Parts: sequence; structure tokens; C-alpha cells
Amino acid sequence: MNEIWGNESVNAIVWHWPIALYLFLAGLSSGAMMTALSVEWMNPKRKAPWDAFVKAGVLIAPITIIVGLIVLIFDLTKPLNFYQLLIHYNLKSVMSLGVLLLLFYTPLCAIYAILRFRLTLSKSFLWPVMNLFGGVLDFLEKNSLWFGRLVFALAGGVGVYTGFLLSAIQTYPLYNSPILPILFLASGLSSGIAACICFGILLFSEEVSKEKTKYLLTMDLRVIPIESLLLFALFVGLYFQGGDKALVVLSALSEGSWAMIFWVCVVGFSVVIPSVIALTALKNHAYKVNFILLNSISIMLGVFALRMYILYAGQLYLGA
Amino acid sequence: MMKYAMVFNSQKCIGCQSCSIACRSENKVPEGLYRLQVKIQGPKGVFPNLAFDYERFSCQMCENTPCVSVCPTHASFMDENGIVDIDANKCVGCLYCISACPYHARFLNPQTKVPDKCNFCKDTHLKLHGEPACVSVCPTDALVFGDLDNMNDPIYEILSKKNFTRKKEHLGTKPKLFTIPNKKGEIKL
Repeated sequence: MNEIWGNESVNAIVWHWPIALYLFLAGLSSGAMMTALSVEWMNPKRKAPWDAFVKAGVLIAPITIIVGLIVLIFDLTKPLNFYQLLIHYNLKSVMSLGVLLLLFYTPLCAIYAILRFRLTLSKSFLWPVMNLFGGVLDFLEKNSLWFGRLVFALAGGVGVYTGFLLSAIQTYPLYNSPILPILFLASGLSSGIAACICFGILLFSEEVSKEKTKYLLTMDLRVIPIESLLLFALFVGLYFQGGDKALVVLSALSEGSWAMIFWVCVVGFSVVIPSVIALTALKNHAYKVNFILLNSISIMLGVFALRMYILYAGQLYLGA
Repeated sequence: MMKYAMVFNSQKCIGCQSCSIACRSENKVPEGLYRLQVKIQGPKGVFPNLAFDYERFSCQMCENTPCVSVCPTHASFMDENGIVDIDANKCVGCLYCISACPYHARFLNPQTKVPDKCNFCKDTHLKLHGEPACVSVCPTDALVFGDLDNMNDPIYEILSKKNFTRKKEHLGTKPKLFTIPNKKGEIKL
């Protein structure tokens, strides 16, 4: 029926998939950077040649965050006005705080990558530029432990801020939870580890060490139970708040295609498949390249599905 | 300095929708989108004691504004008269305010590419005639517009004598759109 007061389903979905893609890429960047730095710090010498996972991580981090930001800017309804975000700041807005964070994180993360690929870059056509900034790079290299710690902290900030961005919204019960930032940090880390393993093996196979692979696989296997617990706590926490919020949980987990996506893609790809692979094919963390790749691709897909699920289900399931 | 507010008296409303139409024509609201809706529910009760419920959906002009606090560029702001408004020049179109509004009062205007909503006809009817278009056309005086800071304003008297409700008060947004609820009830389980 055409209601005389107008259509009620206007604006059902405010934020679409590019936002989920950005949330995924930002989480991936932060996770990959933290992984790369942890692997680097495991090695007491901290000198070139760098481990494959360090190389993969520092390469993935700036690329994913830059691609993510481009997606985000073009998703604005007024992309040409985006500079307004850089000249006006509202410190009460999580988005503004995020802009500030990314303003430091993105370039520093790119500089860290340049530092780790210094030899390669110096031999390429970019050598005059590399020579020009030689002094700065030497200084950063000398203090790379502290520089790394700063980047690590900023990466952690980027990992949680994407969660706070959504949890600040009271309109959608599924967003409005204090668990969300921690869940996003954990799942971002999980996808970052997976991406480091995957691209480390694919791009820098000669520097791959079995010992580090084993370490990262173990680390990922520890993040997965934490992530599952956080998902569990998110839903149980909302359920115990009762009223509309309890109804949101019940429908978000049982009704419609998004419930299906949750169980198949989120739980299946990021929890069940990696656990099965880890307990069977990779038992005792045996070095089986194909299974390792399959494992990490499954985790990345699952983490992307989680972002999509939270973004859409949050806007669709409102309880009342 | 004023603190503009509005009373929607659902006891006087007859659901004629003239306010909605006045709003559309005054503010050139694009087809299929709304700054203001008055939804009709019912009839409720047992014949012959039937009644309808009328509910106004529009910007609630919160005192504590979720849309203003999430806006990264201060494009969403409260002006000196307490009207929550949007500065199109500062807006980048991130739509954070649309999702942050707990009353779903905002929509994206496809022509301006900027979120749009009721602003008490600030740039149109209020500027020219001293009250919003919806108030001036209401045939039953179900809408009262006024200044909460002025004790001599009629709105002040209504709000100090009548029972009123505000939507989603548990959120602490302190809306300045007050509803005088329907007196007629119905048992519903």
C-alpha cells in the first residue's frame, strides 16, 4: 500500500560495501604492520637481509591503507570536498581522530617500507631520490627500534579506531558495543598475519624461514580463539541488554541472508577452516606451502566477510 | 539569542498531511524523500470508541546532538538559536550524521549531495514569516512554535501546563520537539 505520509523504507542502508572494504583494508594494514614489526624484533641483529615476512608486511601496510583511503574518498558524496577533513577537526568525532591518526600513520608506514627496501630502491631508477634523503634515512635506520615502536603504536590505533568509528553510532545496536573496537583489532591482526604469510611466501620465497612461518601460524592460531570469544561476547552482551537489542541478536544470527553469511563466511572461513587445517594438515606446524596459503586466504576472506556482515547486518537488524 | 522549539499536539492533529505538503513545497524536498512525516496508526479501541494515533517524524532538534558530535568537519552544527543545521560548504558527504541520528531524521539530498533535514524552515518560511511552514498551515493548531528562553512565549505556557513526551529520552539527547500524547488508550498484549 502507498502510505499517505510517504515511503518508510527510505535510506535503509546508509553505508555500502566500499566502507566495509575500507574497514577491511585498514585492519589489514594495521595487522600486517604489527606482524612485520614483531617478526623484525624477534631477530636480535635487526639488519638486512630482512625476513620475507618483514618485507611482505611493510609492503602490504602502506599499499592497503592508501588503497583503502582512495576507496573511502571516492565513496564520499562530495569527493572533491575531502580537503575539508584536513582543515577542520572535531575532536569529539571519531572520524576526525581517525583522520589525525592516518595523517601520521600513512606516511610513516610508507617511510618504514622505504627503509626496509632501501637496497632495492637505491639500485633502481630512484637512486637520486634515495641519495638525496640518505641522511634522513640513516638517522631513521639508527633509531629504527624507536621509529618501529611509534609505527607499531599508530598501527594499533588504526586497528581499534575503525571499531570505535562504528561503535560511536547509537542508532544501530550491533555497532554500539564496546567489544567492537577490540574485535576489529583482533580480526585485523589475524588478517594481517595471514597476509604476511601469504605474500611472504608468494613474493619473497628465498627469504622464507620455516621457523618464522611456524611462529606466525602459531600466533594466528592464538588470535582465532580470542576473535571467536569476542564475537561470542558481542552477541551475548547485546542479548543480555534485553529489549530491542536481544531481538537484534536473535534476528542477526538466524534470519535472512546476512545470518547465513555470518555462519558460512565469517565463522566458516575465519574460524572453522583455519582450525581444521591447523589441526590436520599443519599438525605440529608442518611446512606445507599449499595448505599454508589456503589457510591464510581463508582467514582473509573470513575477516572481510566479518566487516561486511557487521556493516550491513548492523544497519538492517534494528530490533523493533 | 533564542532557543527555538516545537510542540506537536497529537490530541489536536487530524492527520491531514497539510504540514508535510507545506514542507515539501517550501523547502523543495526531492521526490520520495521527506523532511517531515506524520504517520497515522490505528484505528485502535472498540467501536464506537475508536481513535487514531498521530506521530510526527522529523528532526527532533536535540540539545545534545549525536549528529553534531560525530561530524568530522563541523558541517553539522547548532546555530545561535538552537537550530541544528548543515553547512553544505564544509560537508564532505561521509554520511556519518545520517547513521548517527537515532531518529532517522536525515537523508541524503541527491541534488545537493549533502544530508538534508528539517531546520525549522530557517532559510525559507521562518526567515520570511517568523514561523515554519508546517506551523502556519496547520488547520487545528496542533503545532506550536516558539522560544523556550522566553517565558512570555505561548509555548512556555503549554509546556509548563501540559504533559509531554520526548522520543528516546534514555539516549539523553534532550529533543526540543515535544509531543503531547494521545489521551485515548487501548489494551494491547
